[in-house]
Amino acid sequence: MAKKIAEGDETEMNMTPMIDIVFQLIIFFLLSLKFKAVDRRIDSALPKDRGIQATQQFVDELPMITVKLFRQNMDVPEEAWTTIKVGNNFRRELPKGEWAGTQKEDTERQEEYDRIFAEVEIAIRDTWAKMNHNPEAKGEIKTPRPKGLKVPHGDVIRVLSTFIQVGLKDVKFEGAPAPLPQAGGGGMVTQGG
Amino acid sequence: MAFKRAPEQEAKPNLTPMIDMTFLLVVFFMLTIDLTTKEYVALELPYAREGVDDKETPIPRLTVNLLPSGDIKFRGNTWPLATGAPEEQHAALVALRNELQRLTADPEMREPDKSSMIPVMVHGDRDARWQYVQWIMQVCAEPTIGVYKIQFAVKKPPGEEEEPQ
Repeated sequence: MAKKIAEGDETEMNMTPMIDIVFQLIIFFLLSLKFKAVDRRIDSALPKDRGIQATQQFVDELPMITVKLFRQNMDVPEEAWTTIKVGNNFRRELPKGEWAGTQKEDTERQEEYDRIFAEVEIAIRDTWAKMNHNPEAKGEIKTPRPKGLKVPHGDVIRVLSTFIQVGLKDVKFEGAPAPLPQAGGGGMVTQGG
Repeated sequence: MAFKRAPEQEAKPNLTPMIDMTFLLVVFFMLTIDLTTKEYVALELPYAREGVDDKETPIPRLTVNLLPSGDIKFRGNTWPLATGAPEEQHAALVALRNELQRLTADPEMREPDKSSMIPVMVHGDRDARWQYVQWIMQVCAEPTIGVYKIQFAVKKPPGEEEEPQ
């Protein structure tokens, strides 16, 4: 005689391990997706032929729009600030100190930066307009030693970005005196865009 | 006489080994993921309005990280630049040069004029000194390395509208 299965006593599937694994998979994919650290970039090209040699003769022939950056009061990092000069007459001081890393303070700082760089942009536009928008014109970012050496990367990139915004895509950087014996200060040209 | 079975004693599968295995797998994947993404160190990138979207380049690039402290982090190595001692800065840049030379040595990655096709990304903190970026670029431009394609990692300023592509 066949045995009758007791009714109401079915084996139920245990869902716990499946849920566990699904969660693990979700976590795995979340982690692996989140790792794109860079979403924007500025492409630039170093001079191939000139390398790091002095490039004085090449520089002098071309109409240049020069932006100079200095780090002031650089012995006290919290109180240091960057001075921007466009040509000889335009000069602005960026906010003091470094980025706080907190949303609120950085937003205020960012607004101050935006305001100043809007003026820098106008100054560069005006300078270029005085050259009748010479297509040969190049930008130049100078960080004269010693005060220029401590200018933060972010400020220089912001100036570079402003040049590109105005439409000047050839921007020359000044080289830094390197601790490497074979590397002297030289010119570099970047091609933004 | 036949023994009577205890009525309420169902055999349940033991879940412990399965959970153990799953955890092991998760740990394994997390570690392998971490190794491939060590390329970028977490730092605050500079703001720039004029950046282009970071699409993948046809030739895989090398990423040089520059921390606000002045340390260079490159492919698992850390070389300090901020010590202030020229000898140590020199040693750091020589180490970077040697590593770049090794990585760009492949003759197939050279253009006809001997410059390297491999781009180098400067993934630098906005508070890092520009001087150190200049040094990194100078190392890249050395004739034995010949890297001329430099990319600066940047971030869109907050509140910027996403431009339609």
